[in-house]
Amino acid sequence: MATSEPRGNETEDSPNETPTPAPAVPGSEQYIKHPLQNRWALWYFKNDKSKSWTENLRLIAKFDTVEDFWALYNHIQQPSKLGFGCDYCLFKDGIKPMWEDDRNKLGGRWLMTLSKQQRHNDLDRYWMETLLCLVGESFDEASDDVCGAVVNVRPKGDKIAIWTGNCQNRDAIMTIGQQYKERLNLPIKTLIGYQSHDDTSSKSGSTTKNMYSV
Amino acid sequence: MSTSRQHSESRAIPTRTVLINDTTQLPHDYCTTPGGTLFSTTPGGTRIIYDRKFLLDRRNSPIAQTPPAHLPVIPGVTSQKVLNENKKNEANNINNHDSKPGTGEDAQFEMDI
Repeated sequence: MATSEPRGNETEDSPNETPTPAPAVPGSEQYIKHPLQNRWALWYFKNDKSKSWTENLRLIAKFDTVEDFWALYNHIQQPSKLGFGCDYCLFKDGIKPMWEDDRNKLGGRWLMTLSKQQRHNDLDRYWMETLLCLVGESFDEASDDVCGAVVNVRPKGDKIAIWTGNCQNRDAIMTIGQQYKERLNLPIKTLIGYQSHDDTSSKSGSTTKNMYSV
Repeated sequence: MSTSRQHSESRAIPTRTVLINDTTQLPHDYCTTPGGTLFSTTPGGTRIIYDRKFLLDRRNSPIAQTPPAHLPVIPGVTSQKVLNENKKNEANNINNHDSKPGTGEDAQFEMDI
């Protein structure tokens, strides 16, 4: 029975306990789609030296419901099976998966570097967990700072990163880093670092300094 | 971006219980919940949040069993071969979905770096 229901769409002379049922097909709740806070775009990058970087970047699909996310996820290759030099990028619709985009250029990324052994054990699991954090808006208000996430499949070791929009937003960045680490169930002593895109693109050596770490 | 974001005061989320006795009482579209819209009353604004468990449960939705319309064919990424492999893996992964021992049969793609 409905309790304290607001007035229904029909005005009746006497309050009747039977609500007007919505027309429904039996079992139709299975087909309900759950809207996401954001519309997301999944990109694929393949390293083909004969083409420019942007030519190698390809949009796979966009989605804005939980079920459409899974429809895509269930029908594409897992990162661990991609070729070396390939990436997946999941970004909010309207943000290109590159530093140069207006919403990325002041930002940076929480970077997780994996060992070669982890490709078999952790890579796909971590990537799925990362996707769920993004589409489910797991970082409370700091979710607004999230631009997207990238997985790089590389011979020396794979990388997964969450990109945020402004490397000066310390509070949001720390919230994201701490909750992300928790979600991945990383050991406390494992440190992950946050680097600004500016530092990454202008680095001289092989390592970029961390602005923050958790 | 959000450097000048303002925080609103926190307030209790107004709740209301609507009991459903039969599936016919459910709304027929996904943007409404019985008795109103689910996400209409988040204090300080609206954010649609899903926890891990809920998201994982929806993976088996019938909608998620069909590839998205207009999925481009990308060899090694969205090809028919990948779809078949995923189906096989899904069956294997029901019981041990965390780590599959390496079978050594997956010929890794050639390095093109």
